[in-house]
Amino acid sequence: MTQPHIIVRKLAKTYRVPTREPGLAASLKNLVRRTYDDVQAVRDVSFTVEAGEMVGLIGPNGAGKTTMLKLLCGLLHPTSGEARVAGFIPWERRHAYLRRISMVLGNKSQMLWDIPPMDSFRVLSEIYGVPPAEFGRTRDELIELLDMGELLTKPVRNLSLGERMKCELVAGLLHRPAVWFLDEPPLGLDVSMQLRLRRFLAEYNRRNGVTVILTSHYMADVMALCPRVILIHHGQMLYDGELGGLAQRLAPFKLLRMTLQGENGNSIGVLPSNVEIIEHGPNRLTLRAARSDAPAVTAHLLQTLPVADLAVEDPPIEAVIDQIYREGGV
Amino acid sequence: MNHRGGWALIQATWASWLQHRGFFFILAFGWMIPPLIYLLVWSTAASGKTIGGLNQGEFVAYYLVLILVNQLTFSQTSWTVGDLIRYGQMNRLLVRPLSPVYDALSSEVAGKVVYMLFDVPIVAALALILHPELHLTPRNVLAFVPALGLAWMLRFFWGYWIALLAFWAARADALLAVQDALIFLLAGQVAPIQLLPDGLRNAALALPFRYMVGFPVEVVTGQLDTFGLWTGFAFQVGWLVIALALSASVWRVGLKRYSAVGG
Repeated sequence: MTQPHIIVRKLAKTYRVPTREPGLAASLKNLVRRTYDDVQAVRDVSFTVEAGEMVGLIGPNGAGKTTMLKLLCGLLHPTSGEARVAGFIPWERRHAYLRRISMVLGNKSQMLWDIPPMDSFRVLSEIYGVPPAEFGRTRDELIELLDMGELLTKPVRNLSLGERMKCELVAGLLHRPAVWFLDEPPLGLDVSMQLRLRRFLAEYNRRNGVTVILTSHYMADVMALCPRVILIHHGQMLYDGELGGLAQRLAPFKLLRMTLQGENGNSIGVLPSNVEIIEHGPNRLTLRAARSDAPAVTAHLLQTLPVADLAVEDPPIEAVIDQIYREGGV
Repeated sequence: MNHRGGWALIQATWASWLQHRGFFFILAFGWMIPPLIYLLVWSTAASGKTIGGLNQGEFVAYYLVLILVNQLTFSQTSWTVGDLIRYGQMNRLLVRPLSPVYDALSSEVAGKVVYMLFDVPIVAALALILHPELHLTPRNVLAFVPALGLAWMLRFFWGYWIALLAFWAARADALLAVQDALIFLLAGQVAPIQLLPDGLRNAALALPFRYMVGFPVEVVTGQLDTFGLWTGFAFQVGWLVIALALSASVWRVGLKRYSAVGG
């Protein structure tokens, strides 16, 4: 057995944040004596990630996702706990470690604004010490995967948002990192770009076996890319496992969507008592039933109602996540 | 140290800056104005006589050289490094296997080349009109080269450690404004050091600011005897060592704090 690629053990980070009451008097008082609050951004989080896994780090704003990522790429020193990534302690920030990872920050660019992407790529390859032949190979492979040959000679500032995102992805991968951190990458652009970038991430991960940690608010991106999610809320890890399992655990019910033949004003009268009506139209009906009751309810409905079409679904993941974010528990 | 990456960064920054020649030419023009004013004031005052041992043509030569030296040693990155820290841009540099000081150095080197494209023709044109008297000797020219290099390094690293105070105080750049005022007064801009009143002159000779601008100008315009030359170099190197040590330790302690409180 090889060691997991990322090992996080009881990692915690507490920030000291200056505070003050509103108003002039308070601000004068604050000049003389500052008061601080301790904010626990990450509390005793433990998990491991195997090489080549794609893991989505999800949670509401301020949950501690970015702090977690900053700890793993060495920008932050933890208050307590341990972590090893690719065999290194991240916050020692050794160059050997920084050469093994890549961090794409959604709101910050690696590209030099005024020159064509090709020049920025060359600089990055020199910074990471990539041999010229390997640089050429990797670059051409990425350019082909992302279909971006025509962008390479225009200054970055003249590129569209989606085109710049492609450049950021290439910039992050030129040195063939073993671990790739993506913090809120704006993949949710137009539909075709979104699909293409997702396909690229999945394909790159498959071909190169790179370990990927992705934080995103776009559940669609997480669903499409990450077989496994880690849910963080108030700095604590609430869930670690398959995305589907999260829905099962949190939402122990199914949605039954039906299309009925003809007008059925009195269909409601024949419904069993253990279902809840979600939506009700002239010939449409959506019901919610406990997961365990779903088969019996479905059979009953098929017998008593003129069903033209029926679908049994899990509730949409967005609704599940929203519920967790609001209620703060799984 | 990753010199290969640093050199590539310098080249790319240069290419990127050349895209905005116009903007940097206007900046360079702005920085040229104060010494130009003092050039006109002193050369008018010295019309037909000498002041402090300098005649009109020698004042012109002093200030024309000073325009170039001031521009070559001016450290614009002192102002931008603080912004990097304030706006969280430092994170992008810290996840690279390259010391962030290279980012500052690359703007410096790129900047010098762009500014000189503007300054050298202007100074040459002014020289044709204003008739400077510059008595170059091999000794002074030879000494000028290291004096200029050390002056640039001193001004860069002195500004750098002050800029890095942004790790603690968001607006540490107020201190940079103070430094610029001191350079204006004590580095030979408002007047050559030898013309300052005794108290100010002694302060100028002891503090680091003269060694950032005035000293190389005095060297090449032949105002220094051998003793003045060597003590000048001694002060320059001494202050540079202090600036380097301060930069390194402020960086180390600052980074520790940064990684404790979060970028």
